[in-house]
Amino acid sequence: MKALAALAGAALTVASCYALGSVMAARLGVRLRRGEKFPLAFVLGAALLHLAVFAILTLKIAYKPVLWLLLAACLAVALRTGDWRWPAPDAAPPETALPRGFRYLFGVIAAAFTVLYFFNAWAPEISPDGASYHLGFIARYLRVRGFERIATNMYAALSEGVEMLYVPAFAIGRHSAAALVHFAFLIALAMLVFAYGKRIGKPLAGAAAALLVYLSPVVGIDGTTAYVDVATAAIVFSVFYGTQIWDEYRDNRILIAVGLLAGYCYAAKYTVFVMVLYAAGFVLWRTRQWRPAATVVGCSLIMAAPWAVKDWIYLHNPIAPFANQGFPNPYFYVLVEKNWTSDLRNYGLTNLWALPLEVTIRGLMTRGLLGPVFLAAPLALLALRSRDGRKLLVPFALLFATYFGNIGTRFLIPALPFLALAMALALEAAAPVLLVALIVFHAAASWPAVMLQYINIGTWKLQFIPFRAALRMIPEEQHLGIQWNYQWARMVENHVPPGKMVLTFTGLADSYTTRDVLVSYAGALNNDIADAVTMGWAKERQPARLWIYSFPAEKHRRLRVVQTGTASNYLEQWSIHELRFFHESSELPRRPEWRLRASPNPWGVQSAFDNSEATRWRSWDTLRPGMWIDVDFGRDESVDQVQVELSGDEWDARMRVETTGGDGRWVPLTGRAEERNVKFSGSIRRAATDEAHVRGVDYFLIKDDDWGAKDYSEFPESWGITLLEHAYGASLYKVNP
Amino acid sequence: VIVRLALLKLRGVFIRVLIGTFIVVFMVVLCGCANLPEPYAPPPQRPNFEAPAAGAARVLEMADADAEIHFVRDIPGSLESNTWRWTGKRPTIRLLPGSNRGLTYVIDFAIAGTTLEQTGPVTLSFFVNDRLLDRERYAAAGRQRVEKPVPAEWLEPNETVLLAAEIDKLWIPPQADAKPLGFILVALGLEKK
Repeated sequence: MKALAALAGAALTVASCYALGSVMAARLGVRLRRGEKFPLAFVLGAALLHLAVFAILTLKIAYKPVLWLLLAACLAVALRTGDWRWPAPDAAPPETALPRGFRYLFGVIAAAFTVLYFFNAWAPEISPDGASYHLGFIARYLRVRGFERIATNMYAALSEGVEMLYVPAFAIGRHSAAALVHFAFLIALAMLVFAYGKRIGKPLAGAAAALLVYLSPVVGIDGTTAYVDVATAAIVFSVFYGTQIWDEYRDNRILIAVGLLAGYCYAAKYTVFVMVLYAAGFVLWRTRQWRPAATVVGCSLIMAAPWAVKDWIYLHNPIAPFANQGFPNPYFYVLVEKNWTSDLRNYGLTNLWALPLEVTIRGLMTRGLLGPVFLAAPLALLALRSRDGRKLLVPFALLFATYFGNIGTRFLIPALPFLALAMALALEAAAPVLLVALIVFHAAASWPAVMLQYINIGTWKLQFIPFRAALRMIPEEQHLGIQWNYQWARMVENHVPPGKMVLTFTGLADSYTTRDVLVSYAGALNNDIADAVTMGWAKERQPARLWIYSFPAEKHRRLRVVQTGTASNYLEQWSIHELRFFHESSELPRRPEWRLRASPNPWGVQSAFDNSEATRWRSWDTLRPGMWIDVDFGRDESVDQVQVELSGDEWDARMRVETTGGDGRWVPLTGRAEERNVKFSGSIRRAATDEAHVRGVDYFLIKDDDWGAKDYSEFPESWGITLLEHAYGASLYKVNP
Repeated sequence: VIVRLALLKLRGVFIRVLIGTFIVVFMVVLCGCANLPEPYAPPPQRPNFEAPAAGAARVLEMADADAEIHFVRDIPGSLESNTWRWTGKRPTIRLLPGSNRGLTYVIDFAIAGTTLEQTGPVTLSFFVNDRLLDRERYAAAGRQRVEKPVPAEWLEPNETVLLAAEIDKLWIPPQADAKPLGFILVALGLEKK
């Protein structure tokens, strides 16, 4: 039943996309050929359906009947207008056919991989990102019937244009239905590339390029899971395709479709926003008029703007989780973003010259491989000799330029169709037989059993054809049960009451639990709690130094501590556990009238005034001169000493104390500074768990290989936690209130 | 592109695009305004938590949920009957007793009749931090419990301690690929007396 539900959910969603796209294409007068109709209508319809689902989630009416009604309405409209039909053969312009021998050879190869892909997509979904956040958020939206602010997971801030299609599919057929929808995009992408080859009179190059993309191992595994990269590639290529159709017919109504698809690129994945620039630029170049280009940009905003507005409203940053320096907000820290984007630019590779081999043959570090044939990618440059080749290499260059922001292999997928077509065009012109041989080699080298001969076993790839799992002859729980991230999700589900939050330091398959899981790095709240908890065992993070600044007693209304040091490492930040003021050796009581400010991270300033050694105000940006933390006493107070408790992990912090002069300007106080080493006598472990409790987290899921795991297991009484279960290499603890 | 546009006398288009870009950028920049919060008052003051002893004496039951975390070596078997595990030659665990005074080494184990038939009488040696605490010979099958006081000077306060028991002869199971086994371990640890 689950297997059928998955198929039904995917089939209905895909059919609705096709129906909606067919109607729209007909209204815009887009003349599509037989081979183009399904993929282009499907992708265009996907863009429109995504917007409808977005509206449903915004209105918080994501009930199953509403989603059923939406899909039914799409199908009904297409049936009523008759737009769902394929173009009659005589209505379409003549096409150049692929020679029969090649057709059979390529057909057999494509069929074999389609069987491999289909059953993998149909099998229970447990891909790393698909089962965690892509579907985790969809499951959450469906639980609460719509969007809600998710400030504890930066991935929720990314645009979710493709995931919107997973909403109705998931509602009907759960996880596998979403993966099957993505698989439909994979089919559409291959069809698009083939159709484009035929449109430009190069069917052999088109078919070969389609297979170069379709058989690529990273495309195969990505396109059969609930990821979004292959769908993004299909949307990107549709934009290009649309501009070429418009260029042929010069019917400006087509630009509406092009603009919508270009905007849908942004909705699918931030990094391919360049297709808006490409489409508008291409139209501007071809017409020398701004109005057609403006039509493209305007229509693209219809698709892209909802996502920017959603982030602006929920997270105060229209392009969250990026650009937090420009759009300061309490949800994502600047330094975490810096660190994250830095990681994405290297994936642990010390030498980026290793990338070509990494993304084509190895694939372990960058998580997936394109296949050895793409070592021949420079051949694509030969395509510059033809007009068709140059047309392809412009969008390729634009997309490839964004790749270095995230060098994961799958981030090459949007540019891959252009590269494959350019390679195929170049080879077809030079040696068609070599092109066919290359495809046969690519097919052999991309088959899972063959891949095992030359790649690391840990590389992200498809492994076999899971017939029994797909048909649910092996129960879903049993198939998923061998995956620890699934078991961790079930452990959380079984022990943690509804509505409670769980802190963990690395992820799990969120979509298989209904509980709110806070991954330590994924949001500001998570960062703060994880910092406190880590402080419980990591001595370098604990208060270690006391900076004392003494000066002649005088009345002050406001005082501030200003940073004057510069970090030698960009990850070093300024942290203050406690900031205390004294007069004649007595600490000034912290009165409610005090007003506290800080820059940067004004939202965290209270952590320096909460009397907890397990919390600290942190700049969450690289330590630099000019940062400050400021106290307005609300009245004049006699002060002769300021004490700042610092951690052991800030080596370059240097400070001065300032007061406000008569004109309201800040003036440095003259005095004497000294620094002492301190050791806190209380239980930082207990203070840390108390802080987690105060902030709403009463459960920790600690993996055995997490930093500090042994400390929790050996000192549970000291932490004030109770072990609920230890299994599958992880311990679930409950905080004792 | 700029030069080309200028050459084609499309300055008007260029200027419109520039103005449009400026408006979009200006609006986007505006999104960043007014995000900063009002000043905060001091929060409720957190209590001070007394630091408890770093650890406590504990007898580790093989059925304890966190038992595996404490294993150091030679306890390869899964939990049987929700109570015990097979050992290898020298099962060793790690604990953190906190104090080093008044502690007693405790081991709860069993010698299986099947193993004894093959090995004959066996001798078990009991270790604390690799120092021999005592040695016992067992000629009959059955459950055993051994308790031996541990000299305080063998332990450091607030440091982990290694507890072990070594059997002199291993039982070789009849299955071809089976590993040699020692004895049946139920619990091992330190008790505060």
